[in-house]
Amino acid sequence: MPTLSRRTFLASLASTVPLAVVVRRAHAAAIVHLTSEPATLDALAEAVLPSALGRAGITNAAAAFREWGAGYREGAEVNHGYGTSRLRSLGPTPLTKWTTQLDDLDARAQAKHQRNFRDLPVADRVALVRAVLEGQRVDRMPGIADASHVSLALLAHFYDSSAANDLCYEAKIGKATCRPLAESSRKPLPMLKVSER
Amino acid sequence: MRRVVESDVCIVGSGISAAMVADRLARTTNASVVVVEAGDESVPLSQRAATRTRFLRYGENPWLGDHLDGYEVEGPLQSRSMQVGGMAMHWGGVTPRFSPEDFRHKSLYGIGTDWPISYDDLQPFYQEAEEVMGVAGEQGPRDMDPRSKPFPMPPLPLTYNLELLKKWASSAGIAMWSQPSAKNSIAYGGRAQCCRNDTCSPVCPVGAKYSPDFTWNALRKTNKVRIVPRMLVRKLVLDSTGKQITHAIAVDRDRPATPVEYRAKLFVVAAGYTWSAHLLLLSAQSGAENGLANRSGLVGKYLAGHRNVGAYVDLPLRLYPGINEQHSLVSKQFMRHKAGGPFVRHDLRVWESSVGKTPRLADDSGALMLGDAILDDWRKRTKTGTARVRAYYDIIPDRASELTLDPARKNEWGDPLPKLVFRDAPESVALRAQTEDSIKAVFANMAKAGNGTVLRTSVDNFQDHPAGGCRMGADPASSVVDSWGRAHDHENLFVVGAPTCVTGSCANATLTFCALSLRSAHEMERGLPRKA
Repeated sequence: MPTLSRRTFLASLASTVPLAVVVRRAHAAAIVHLTSEPATLDALAEAVLPSALGRAGITNAAAAFREWGAGYREGAEVNHGYGTSRLRSLGPTPLTKWTTQLDDLDARAQAKHQRNFRDLPVADRVALVRAVLEGQRVDRMPGIADASHVSLALLAHFYDSSAANDLCYEAKIGKATCRPLAESSRKPLPMLKVSER
Repeated sequence: MRRVVESDVCIVGSGISAAMVADRLARTTNASVVVVEAGDESVPLSQRAATRTRFLRYGENPWLGDHLDGYEVEGPLQSRSMQVGGMAMHWGGVTPRFSPEDFRHKSLYGIGTDWPISYDDLQPFYQEAEEVMGVAGEQGPRDMDPRSKPFPMPPLPLTYNLELLKKWASSAGIAMWSQPSAKNSIAYGGRAQCCRNDTCSPVCPVGAKYSPDFTWNALRKTNKVRIVPRMLVRKLVLDSTGKQITHAIAVDRDRPATPVEYRAKLFVVAAGYTWSAHLLLLSAQSGAENGLANRSGLVGKYLAGHRNVGAYVDLPLRLYPGINEQHSLVSKQFMRHKAGGPFVRHDLRVWESSVGKTPRLADDSGALMLGDAILDDWRKRTKTGTARVRAYYDIIPDRASELTLDPARKNEWGDPLPKLVFRDAPESVALRAQTEDSIKAVFANMAKAGNGTVLRTSVDNFQDHPAGGCRMGADPASSVVDSWGRAHDHENLFVVGAPTCVTGSCANATLTFCALSLRSAHEMERGLPRKA
């Protein structure tokens, strides 16, 4: 039996069921895709995240990103701030876009190197990502769901974390985690480098 | 068909002012108290760690369902939040007192209006509010920060960052200390010690920050107060003399076809600066054609607040953002206007910050960075630190700073929604540029003293910590309620907390709302069955 491409699957879904259901199913399919085929995302993480994280740290960061994506709830109400009565909700799931972009990285790798993205040396992976992002206006870290490309979303997710903050300051700050109040007066303890752990 | 509910006291609204009143009445009287709240129950403490996680990850609202649909109002509504506990479910827990000068602007400086009470009148109720909520604080210099008793809890410790920033402020000649906060520096009131989750606003996941649900939960356990959520009061109804409120008409959001009447000896409108004045205006009726308590025509007028001038200062200090970002230093040094010059008063706060030091994707030349380059760049840029500085300054409210009924927008029951406009009084308009320049000069002086650079300065375009709309006063012709919050026009109607404020000071106002509410409750007690 021939394999149904995700694009074809989604197109066939769209012709038979309401849009909201299509979106939910597409989101679910994207979760399956990300979790059942983690290698491309892991390879992307190795290319764009800092090596100071070590292999385990990079794998963890990619896993946390997948978990973030799986937990995304399109249409969920966003925290309403002060000074306005306007309510906002989360936009469309970014997962479907991300899985397509991961497939695209694979396709580009095949076209240029006749290998899957995950099998390329890091330098070639970085070059492919740069090629994809060429021409895009890239400056500040985007919001995770708003990122134009999965590589930028992955970076935004990681750099928003307490672990990234600790890595930058090379100190155990533990931003936004439950920590003893009394210790707040002390200079944060230094973090061991990966090689020292 | 209609349902009738009777009690000694009917409180409309369940926010922090309502909680103060109910708590006081439950402690000192045998009165039956019913609290009517339009919104839903708030998310219980046991679920707040989970909703906080989703807030941090996705920006989701941690207070699920905390609003009524269709309440998009024109003007700067402070918050859409409407739930058991009100806006103080997600407040920052910052609790400075107003200064003695706040109550005497006219007599001291010839500007604005004096309050009918003094700081000394309110001081015992400040203390009571601090003890009910649990406030951790540090005594500031006594001439700037007068207190008759110590804070109930020791101060939140200054973080490593704040200790450095305190020295910096001191080098600029500014005395700063730990910001008083309704956050537990030690276990207090059966609640946990703060553990720096650092999301006080919008949600504390451990209950270390006071929120009104703790008071409501305690009162419910003892059956002292009955709280009715999802019940929107639409109108208060007068008796034939026009002196007394007989009942409130409400709509049960679950059974809207059956109107509900709340009959009580005493009615307390505790619905914040927006919904209190809104209800009084909605309650227009024969004998009160312009709304209840509105013979003066001032219901909804003189909305008050303060404006924020903020800046970020790059300093040659190695700071570690994230230790406890929501805690700050405070100074009242500039809350005492110096005689001789133009009227300028403001508070001053300093926080750790990461502004200007966050990771980025492109270097200074605009070239894309990936991999190690991003971290290297970030590390280089964080060798120095950023301080956030901010001052609230006084605004004298204008009469036309007002809440009116909006004929163009109605809720699903056909009642017009409020429309909000904030305006500075002419004297504040005249002083605005000078005030803001003066504050910016303070920031510049601080930056210079620390060999730093002001990265950017901003001025808010809205008034924060809004209040007013039912201002208090001794003269019924120029105020809505007396100094106790009792309506001049109706013997058994109180308005409490934020709406009764004459001015908004230049500091966070919630503690003052609470103190005023407790003072009102003391007055209410006089007509209620007292405990032996």
